[in-house]
Amino acid sequence: MPVTSERYAIGLARAFGGAIIFGIPLLMTMEMWSLGFSIGRGRLLLLIAFTLVLLVGLSYFSGFEKTFSLKEDAMDAFAALGVGVVTSAVLLVVLAVITFDMTWGDIVGRVALQSVPASIGAMLGRKQLGDEQDMDAEEERKREAGYGGELFLMLAGALFLAFNMAPTEEMILIAFQMTPWHALALGVLSMLLLHVFVYSIGFSGQESRPEGGTFLSTFLHFTLAGYGVALLVSLYVLWSFGRTDGVSVAEITNMLVVLGFPASLGAATARLVV
Amino acid sequence: MNREHKQGGNETGKVAAQVPWLEWVASCIGLLLVLGVFGVIGWQLFNGATVPPVITVEVENVAPVEGGHRVLFRARNRAGEAAARVEIEGTVSTAGADPETSRVVLDYVPGHSEQQGGLFFSRDPRSGALSLRPTGFADP
Repeated sequence: MPVTSERYAIGLARAFGGAIIFGIPLLMTMEMWSLGFSIGRGRLLLLIAFTLVLLVGLSYFSGFEKTFSLKEDAMDAFAALGVGVVTSAVLLVVLAVITFDMTWGDIVGRVALQSVPASIGAMLGRKQLGDEQDMDAEEERKREAGYGGELFLMLAGALFLAFNMAPTEEMILIAFQMTPWHALALGVLSMLLLHVFVYSIGFSGQESRPEGGTFLSTFLHFTLAGYGVALLVSLYVLWSFGRTDGVSVAEITNMLVVLGFPASLGAATARLVV
Repeated sequence: MNREHKQGGNETGKVAAQVPWLEWVASCIGLLLVLGVFGVIGWQLFNGATVPPVITVEVENVAPVEGGHRVLFRARNRAGEAAARVEIEGTVSTAGADPETSRVVLDYVPGHSEQQGGLFFSRDPRSGALSLRPTGFADP
């Protein structure tokens, strides 16, 4: 079915819906406002670039239309980022987080940071709020993508959930409160839940679920790899927010385990959302 | 990126016994990370992660700024346990005048880590004796 401008407009409206729904928790999180100006500019740029790459991938798996080329995926990614920026800017102004006596650097920083979750929401909103979508094509695409696709979806899920928790002070506070025993328990629990989700929701996908897959092979190929992805994503997000500056390896490890918990849940359930 | 993996995925379907290189790489990275994380936490168990905070403060830089002088410092926690609400007090004492005191509270100084901060004085700290010390902390 050809995509007319009218259908595209409907998709765009859904994208705005997704941006608001997925972006609202962070739009109303105090730490996000101050991070908007305190986050290193280089790290912010890198974060936006990383988000764009992620959006291109997400567009491939679950854009509102079946895309046929990298160009279309890239166009969708920029559209989603645009929706994210506009949504964040409007809502931050309405919430009085942005006022016009602020410096431009401050305003742009706040909007740019908020546009990360909002634009991912915009991309997902097209799927979550849409009904006319070609589900078969999407499933086929996920099947075709194989293991690399699984890893990508896990990365996207982990990033989205980790990004929603990481700005809050609670993440570092919990890490500081925990004894090594708590950290070990949480790490084991994260992997256990990740493994259970992989099995019970059939996240491991059609190719890899067959009877041949033993506990150990699923554990190695999905649980361990997934938890690895979750830990790396956590480290990246913590570093972006400057939580790791001047902090010892031991305390960073605790933070990784704390943020790795939501990240691994995000990785495990990514397939439900994306 | 994903289009490249498409190829690998199709091959997996046909040759079930062969594990693609990407699976090996991802699993090995995962394994290394898990071992690393658990290793560091395990190491903490036996290396005083529960020793209460010991905070030291070093002056990094003193500079004249608009309206006074700015002292940048680095607070270091030499023990394993994290400290919250660490108060740093700085005093400039010059002969023949009352000492001038400034204070700041650092939200957190994690174990074996450092945090930077600054204090302002109206008097030039280099004109007299400048001393910085932590006055207290709370458990996080």
